[in-house]
Amino acid sequence: MSVRDLPSPRQGDPPGGTALGWACTRRFEAQPALVSVELLGLNQTLIQLGLPIEQLFTLELVLAEVLNNVVEHAYQDRGEGRIELSVSVHDGFIHCGVTDFGAPMPGGALPPARRHSPEALALQDLPEGSFGWALIRDLTTGLDYSRDEGINRLSFRITLGD
Amino acid sequence: MDITLEPKGPIALLHVVPDRIDASVAIQFKDRFRDLVRDWDGPVVLDLQNVTFLDSSGLGAVVAARKLLGEGRQLDLSGLTPAVDKVMRLTRMNQVFPIHGSVEDALAAHGVAPAA
Repeated sequence: MSVRDLPSPRQGDPPGGTALGWACTRRFEAQPALVSVELLGLNQTLIQLGLPIEQLFTLELVLAEVLNNVVEHAYQDRGEGRIELSVSVHDGFIHCGVTDFGAPMPGGALPPARRHSPEALALQDLPEGSFGWALIRDLTTGLDYSRDEGINRLSFRITLGD
Repeated sequence: MDITLEPKGPIALLHVVPDRIDASVAIQFKDRFRDLVRDWDGPVVLDLQNVTFLDSSGLGAVVAARKLLGEGRQLDLSGLTPAVDKVMRLTRMNQVFPIHGSVEDALAAHGVAPAA
């Protein structure tokens, strides 16, 4: 089965409709080791669907950044707290939704991308973090965040093809 | 974390055995690296050919390793897989590390024959 064979929505399907193409939802606790396991499993499944390896790497990287942020910030490294990840493939995109029940984003909005010019920095000033949102913003489209009744919802798409 | 040290003349050649450096192992990477280079005065080459996934936490650990060596000791990277290369380029960290296609190239850049 290749991406080309995945069904696309028919005319008349409700907006945001039901299972079009491939979809899954996963629930797991906010721990780094569990995030790794989920990403590995998802990658293997999507390789079997015939998705291009380059986009699967992009997906894995973006999800790692997003999920690690949830582990570290929304749940503040407590090692517990539920994460829900939904992934679907249709209409030339991998659609992702990440839900958690932890702390809101600072200021209730998506953090900006921090751009570094490491070649201009002294060795001891090199950044050891804060790369995440630049990667997420550069590699996704349709990035959206909302906070409602104690629930964080983040959604984005990865473009298939090219 | 499984990292092995292979002395090559003045160079410490470190082979990263696992295929991922991510948030779940970033601290172990830093600790193991620190232990391995503690008594080494020369340049270090980090062989990443097995590593097919590096996230920003893993990258942060590699940067921390670079800072640990200080100005006096160089840290080169070799054998970047496409995924690792992409992270290095997107974050511009490819501007900071000398990067070589293979261990042989990295050793040659330091004037060391691979069989040394």
